[in-house]
Amino acid sequence: MTEFVQQFVDGLGRGGIYALLALGLALIFGVMHLVNFAHGETITVPAYVAFGISLAVGGNWWLIVPAVIVAAVLVSVATEFVAFRWVRGSSDFTMLLTSFGVHFVVVAVFVMAVSPKAKNFEKPGWIFNTVRVGGVSFEIVDLVTIGVTLATLVLTVSILRKTLFGIAIRAAAEDFDAARLMGVRSNRVIRSAFALAGFLAGVAAVFWLMRTGEAEPGAGLVPLLKGVIAAIIGGLGSLTGAVLGGFALGLAEVYLRAWLPGNLAGLTEGAVFLLIALLFIVRPQGFVTVRRAERV
Amino acid sequence: MVRGNLVGRLLLPGAGSLAVFGLLVGGGLLYASGGGTARDTLVTQMLVNAVLVIGLQIFIGNTGILSFGHMGFAAVAGYTFALLAIAPRFKERSVPDAPFGLADVQLGIAPAMVIAVAVTLALGLIVGLGLIRSGAKSGAIAATMITLALLFVVYEVARNYPDLTNGRVGLTFGPGNSLSDRTWIYVILFVAILSARLFRETETGRLAQAAREDDLAARAMGVNPTYPQLAALLLSVVVIAVGASLRTHVLGSMTPEFFFFGYTLLTLVMLIVGGRNGVTGAVLGVIVITAGNEFTRYLAGGDVSVPGLNWLLQEGLSDIFLGGAMLLFMILRPEGLLGDWEIDFPLRRLLRRLPLPGGAKRASPVPAAARPDPSRLSASEVTVLFGGFRALDGSSIEARADEIVGLIGPNGAGKTTLLNVVTGIVIPAEGRFSLGERVLTGEQPHVIARAGLARTFQNLRLFPALSVRENVSVAALVAARHRSDRVLPDPDELLVAAGLWEQRDRRARELDYGAARALELARAAAAAPAFLLLDEPTSGLGEAESAAMIDHVRATAAAIGAGVLVIDHDLHFITTICDRIYVLDQGRVIAEGTPAEVQADPAVQVAYLGASG
Repeated sequence: MTEFVQQFVDGLGRGGIYALLALGLALIFGVMHLVNFAHGETITVPAYVAFGISLAVGGNWWLIVPAVIVAAVLVSVATEFVAFRWVRGSSDFTMLLTSFGVHFVVVAVFVMAVSPKAKNFEKPGWIFNTVRVGGVSFEIVDLVTIGVTLATLVLTVSILRKTLFGIAIRAAAEDFDAARLMGVRSNRVIRSAFALAGFLAGVAAVFWLMRTGEAEPGAGLVPLLKGVIAAIIGGLGSLTGAVLGGFALGLAEVYLRAWLPGNLAGLTEGAVFLLIALLFIVRPQGFVTVRRAERV
Repeated sequence: MVRGNLVGRLLLPGAGSLAVFGLLVGGGLLYASGGGTARDTLVTQMLVNAVLVIGLQIFIGNTGILSFGHMGFAAVAGYTFALLAIAPRFKERSVPDAPFGLADVQLGIAPAMVIAVAVTLALGLIVGLGLIRSGAKSGAIAATMITLALLFVVYEVARNYPDLTNGRVGLTFGPGNSLSDRTWIYVILFVAILSARLFRETETGRLAQAAREDDLAARAMGVNPTYPQLAALLLSVVVIAVGASLRTHVLGSMTPEFFFFGYTLLTLVMLIVGGRNGVTGAVLGVIVITAGNEFTRYLAGGDVSVPGLNWLLQEGLSDIFLGGAMLLFMILRPEGLLGDWEIDFPLRRLLRRLPLPGGAKRASPVPAAARPDPSRLSASEVTVLFGGFRALDGSSIEARADEIVGLIGPNGAGKTTLLNVVTGIVIPAEGRFSLGERVLTGEQPHVIARAGLARTFQNLRLFPALSVRENVSVAALVAARHRSDRVLPDPDELLVAAGLWEQRDRRARELDYGAARALELARAAAAAPAFLLLDEPTSGLGEAESAAMIDHVRATAAAIGAGVLVIDHDLHFITTICDRIYVLDQGRVIAEGTPAEVQADPAVQVAYLGASG
């Protein structure tokens, strides 16, 4: 039972990161029907920012955290400006490969500018400390991740619900053409969606980087894939679904790791991907269905 | 006709494949003659890469489904080949505990390759069935994710199952094992090019392309995309497996990274830069990217110095080149350099100018050969719910195969929804519909189309990249397989009757609006249906064109012996063409009768004009 609770908190902690990424992906998908495989760059670039800061002034996380978030927002907006703006309305095939193109270029830039090898920076000292609550010990990093994730999600929900900008995004996610006809400015909405997605990814990046403490050219790929998977599990385009998908994926990973026998533990990632393939085979539309009837 | 088919499907593409092969190999040999083993190796690798890229083209090009998993297939083939072909004395060191006694096996190159293909093919079948289950279609994200997951599963297993794969270190052939001459590479390359080029012209290939262009329209024409897509997948897997075995052998080793992200990027860029929908384009992409890659490598090699730019000239430059090429092509020219152009196309055009039998078409009207079908189309008590909204509320209609029945009503009355119900696109909450004796409620669109209902769409859904003639021949193909109990209309004559014969080789997307409408009708007629279901055939047409459409619809329906159910807003059109009319309002049938009766009906006047009493 103790173990179960520990794993549950561990899973929520991981899942929170995925949920933040998935929510951003779902926002972007909503406004331009793009599955953004370059969304992981909002982790890769901040990773190098964190590395740069710790190189220059040492691992001061009071400095790193805001820098990482700002970098993530800038990266997200920049990718829209440089690449996605020009393929708006193209086929899904074209947009998907465009985002892969962005990913590959960013990887190559860091290979050239820094190194193909991973660069380490100092993790905050406290993160693997544990607190004991009623006989169960929790890692602080998980508790902080869960707390901040929830706060961020609440903030995002209130932005989407209350502000004009949020309403415009939600309207655009529902029906982009109709929203445009109602006077929603497409450029601004898309840019805002990328900015908000970048912010969410920035928060996710903070916790991801606290755990890994390294910057490498492909740093964003694995969290990105998890985010994409979570978003699709949640039924692409559904914002609630994306968040639930993220937490579900985090929990599934943790319990799978615990459940697989020791000599197969190395295959956890492989098993996760296998499960994901099966999931998409059985339920390609995800678990929160978004009605997206094709007009004929 | 038969002869034309033979030339068009076999001889010309065959000659084209030979030309493409010649250009690739010739170019390679020319470069290699510059001397040096490095150039020789590069050319060998280019030819092997070409085999894998062609494997990708067969699937991605014909189906439009973006796959990242093909390098997963390649990795499986590569490991199978390596485990079987590496001499036991080398395996003793790397994988002494390999399961199934693999450590002691040594097969020749050819048998190892055959088994590698068989194993990969089995995996391909499983993945293919999964893709189908997921409803794969052009651009489908779930399908792409399944293939991506496959790539990662294979990679993770390869890294973390050292007993079989020796983990990250991988498997190595002994020294002196690389191919001494390229004969086998040439043979395999040519066969790969030829099979890809021929597949494009096969009926199966054509059906896959139709579904790629418009999945829903293809289904509504009776195409079940499942089998063509599966066929494309399996053929591509075979080519990939052979290519991967070849590459493993040429490189002399196999590690998890060999067929992972980096190589996926390389082959995908090669495919899209030249043009993924054509074999010539795919091969051109291999040449262009190999050359570009080599050039960037030369620049980054340290022998070149450009003042101010030296920070750029270092390792990683070729990755920037590849990623940048993918990005730029997607933004500026997503269809690639050549699009779906093939090297034998000009030859075909040349041949058409010659007076071959079947080359010139007499402008005869479509013969009224088919007998009228006695069956009735009837829908009874159909109710459709969209959320809480009753789009259709217990509507019943009936039509005989020797009449033209109209469906009119204000916007939102449920006309198109009714058409969508009887073509299987919308599943009704209640009610049933049948054609003759056969109940079709709940059947899939392609089953319904094969049973004899062919439709057009309000917003025109042609197969844009296919030629005018191919658009019609897709429907004719399905008719030949599934409607052979009827007299089948000759697709060429339908084109003549529609006034499209002169434009038969143009792409459907190049047609003007009126011609596109006419083509959609001809395509539906080519399916040899018992009923033509027309959704606003005059929408967007001028007065004169609308008037011409009346005669055209009548003539077509009479020629193929089909009944017609037509929706239109043009009252003149409807009242002129129809024998009977149903009037729908708010999901209910409010009137039915001859045009004159309906026009006189007070309920209709209320619905249309809002006039009360």
